[in-house]
Amino acid sequence: MPHLEPQQRAGAINKLLSLVSLRTWKMKGSDNQEKLVYQIIEDAGNKGIWSRDIRFKSNLPLTEINKILKNLESKKLIKAVKSVAASKKKVYMLYNLQPDRSVTGGAWYSDQDFESEFVEVLNQQCFKFLQSKADAARDSQQSPMVQRNSSFATSHEVWKYICELGISKVDLSMDDIETILNTLIYDGKVEMTVIAAKEGTVGSVDGQMKLFRGVNPVLQPTGLVKTPCGLCPVFDDCHEGGEISPSSCVYMSEWLEF
Amino acid sequence: MTAQEIRLCGLLLREHFGEVVEKVGKHLLGGGAQTLRGIAHETGLPLDLVKKTLCVLVQHGACSFTAGRKGPGSPAEYWACCDRILRILRYPRYIYTAKTLYGDTGELLTEELLQRGHMTMSGLVKTVADRLTQNMEEGHSVDYSEVSSTFSKFVETRFLQRCPPPVRAAQTGGGAQAAPGAAPAAPTGAAMLAPESFPDCYEVPRVTLVGRGKRQLAPEDGEEQRSAKRAKMDPETHGDEGIYWQVNFERFHQHFRDQAIISAVANKLDQTSSEIVRTILRMSEVTTSPAATCTKPLSANEIFRSLPASYNISRPTLDQYLTLLADDPMEFVGKAGESGGGMFVVNLHRALANLARATLESIVQERFGSRSARIFRLLLRKRHLEQKQVEDFAMIPAKEAKDMLYTLLSQNLVQLQEIPKTPDFAPSRTFYLYTVNQLPTARMLLQNCYKTVANLIERRLFESKESKRLLEKSQRIEAILASLQASGAEPEQLTEVEEMITAPEKQQLDVLRLHVNKLDSAENQVDETIFLLESYISSTAAAPT
Repeated sequence: MPHLEPQQRAGAINKLLSLVSLRTWKMKGSDNQEKLVYQIIEDAGNKGIWSRDIRFKSNLPLTEINKILKNLESKKLIKAVKSVAASKKKVYMLYNLQPDRSVTGGAWYSDQDFESEFVEVLNQQCFKFLQSKADAARDSQQSPMVQRNSSFATSHEVWKYICELGISKVDLSMDDIETILNTLIYDGKVEMTVIAAKEGTVGSVDGQMKLFRGVNPVLQPTGLVKTPCGLCPVFDDCHEGGEISPSSCVYMSEWLEF
Repeated sequence: MTAQEIRLCGLLLREHFGEVVEKVGKHLLGGGAQTLRGIAHETGLPLDLVKKTLCVLVQHGACSFTAGRKGPGSPAEYWACCDRILRILRYPRYIYTAKTLYGDTGELLTEELLQRGHMTMSGLVKTVADRLTQNMEEGHSVDYSEVSSTFSKFVETRFLQRCPPPVRAAQTGGGAQAAPGAAPAAPTGAAMLAPESFPDCYEVPRVTLVGRGKRQLAPEDGEEQRSAKRAKMDPETHGDEGIYWQVNFERFHQHFRDQAIISAVANKLDQTSSEIVRTILRMSEVTTSPAATCTKPLSANEIFRSLPASYNISRPTLDQYLTLLADDPMEFVGKAGESGGGMFVVNLHRALANLARATLESIVQERFGSRSARIFRLLLRKRHLEQKQVEDFAMIPAKEAKDMLYTLLSQNLVQLQEIPKTPDFAPSRTFYLYTVNQLPTARMLLQNCYKTVANLIERRLFESKESKRLLEKSQRIEAILASLQASGAEPEQLTEVEEMITAPEKQQLDVLRLHVNKLDSAENQVDETIFLLESYISSTAAAPT
C-alpha cells in the first residue's frame, strides 16, 4: 500500500483494530477452545449463558470449560452475574455488557432479593397520591365531567411525585412506576384509561398517555365474611355432631362474646 | 339440589313448621317425586299426619303434585320445591321492604300472607285490619277500605299476585286421593305453570267489604284459634271466593336487585348518579320483564322529565352524569343509541355479574388477605397466566406468590390448566396456566353460604336449647306478671314476682338475647350474599353468552 499517505494508513489500521483485531489481540495466547467458548458467550448477549448450556453447545468436558471460564474471567473478557430467577445459577456474559432486566430483576431487586417492602411502600404512596387527587376533585364542587377529569393523573405525574418524595434510593423509570400502578389496578383501587396525546407532550408514549385515578370499592365487605364461618379455616371439616361442629365452635363463641 | 341445600331446608322447615314437616320435607327433597303411601311407609309416620304435613307444604307452595307417571288412575306423586323453601330465609327482608314501601299496613299484609302461604283478598284485608286496630288506642279502628287500597297498590306494583287457578281433580287423575286433606289448597298440580301466564294475574277482584277492624275481646287468644274461629263463623260472602293471592317473590327480588345496583353506583360514583339510576330503574320497573338482560332504552329527555324536582339536576348536568355512567368501566349503564338526546339502558345482567365478581373478590380479600386478592383479581382480568407471570404482574416475591396460589388452588378458588407441548404430559414440557372461572366459583361459594346459614341456625338452636330452662322460667314469670297486671295487683306483689328472676339469671338472659340477635342479623347478612350470587347464577344460566 505504498500509494497511501501514512496518516490514511494509520487510520485504516486503527479502524480495523477497533472492530476485530482488538479481540484477537486480547485473545492472543488463547487456543481454539477458548475462542469457541468466548464465541458462545458473546452470542448469548446481555441475557448471559449458564455454564451447563456452554457445555452442551461446545461439547467440551465441564472441567475444561470451568478452567477456560476462570481464565477468561481473570483476563476481564467475561464476567459472571447471579441471576434472580435462580439464586445458585451463575450466568456469563461479556465484560462490557449491562445485564438484562430479566437477569438482575430491575429496580426491585437488590442482591437477588426481591424488595417487597419497597414495592409495598411505593404502592401505598402512589395510591395516596391518586386518592388525594380524587378527593380534591370531589371537593371542588365543579360539574361532574370536570370533577372526573381532574381526578385523573398521568403516569408521568405520579413518577414525578415519587421522585420528588425521595423515598427511592435507586432511579426509577416511568415503566417501573407503571408496574406499580398496575398492581394498584389489581388491588381494585385504581382505574386506568388511555387517551390520545399530542406528539411531544411530557409522559406520552407513541402518542398515547396513560391516565390513572383512584376509585371507591363497589361493595362493602360482603355478608358472608362478616360471620366466623366465612373465614373459618376448618370450614370443610365442620359437621353437626362431629368433632368440629357449629354448636361447639370456638370461633363462633369468641365472635359471640365480642 | 345439594346436601347443603337440603340441610338448610330441613332447618328452616323445622323452625317454621316443626319436626314432622322437617322429616317429610327432607325426605321429599332427598328422594324426589314420591307417592303418599311411599312417604308414609319410608318415614314411618302415620298416614293422616303425612297428609296434614303435605297440606301445610302445599299451602305454602313448597310442595306440589302431579298425576302418577304410570298413566291415568295411578297415585299422585309429590315433590318438594327447594327454591321455595329457601325463600323462608328471606322472609324478614320481604317484610322489611314492604314496610319501607307501604308502611305498617304493607308490613302486616306481607307478613300475614307469608305466614299463611296464600289467602283470599277479603280474608287478608280483614285479618290485617283487625291486627292494626288491636295496636291502636281504645276507640280507634281501621276501615277495611284503607287496607284494601293498600292491597290494590301492592297488586298494581306486582308485589302480590294471584295464585294460578287450580287444575281440576279429573285432570290430575289420582290427585283426588290427596284432595280431601288439601281442599282449600288452590295451586295444586299447577306449580309448573308460571303465574304470569294467566291474563288476570294482577287483576284485583271487586270485593264488597264494609266495616272496620274489630277488636278482639280476649287478646290472649292465639292467632291460630282466631283464624279458625273466623273461618267457621264467617258465613257472609265477599265475591272473591276461590281467588287466592300469594307474594310475588320475583318482583321482590327485582326490587332487591335494583336496590343493590343503586347502592353500588352510590358507592362507586356518587349520590346523584345513583339517583339517576334509580329513576331509570323505576321508569322501567313494569315495562321490563324480570329476566331481561337490560332495561328498555330510555332517552335522556324522558329521564330528565321523570327526575324528581327535588334533586335539582339541570339538563346539561344530567347529560354529563349519563355520559359518565356510560363511560364507567363497571358498565352499569350503557348507551343504546343517539336518538332523543341519547338512549340509555341499565345493563342488569352485566351489573349482576360485576356485583358477583366484587363479592368473590371481597371474600378472597377478607379470607386470604389483600395480596391474595390481588392475585385473584389479576387472574380474573388476564384469564390465563403462568406462575412466573403472576409473580411479575402482582409484584409479589416468588415464594409468597407460590404459597398464595397454592392456597387459593386448594380452596378451589383458582383453577389450574395443563397444556402439554408433547403428548406425554411431562412436567418440564407442559404449560401450567392458572385461571379463575367466575361462574363455578360463585356456585361453590353459594354452597358455602348455605352451609354458613345452616351453621348459624344450628348454633342459635343450640344456644336457646342450652338456656331452655331459663327461657321457660322467664316466659312463665312474664305471663304471671301480665295476668297480675290485668287483675290490678299491688305494686309490691309485682316486684315480688319480678324478683323471682335473680340478677345472674337476668344477666344470662341478656347475654342469650344478644347472641341470638347477633346470629339472626348474621343470617340476614349472609342472605344478602346468597341473593347476589343466586341472581348472578340464574341470570347467567338464562342467557349463556
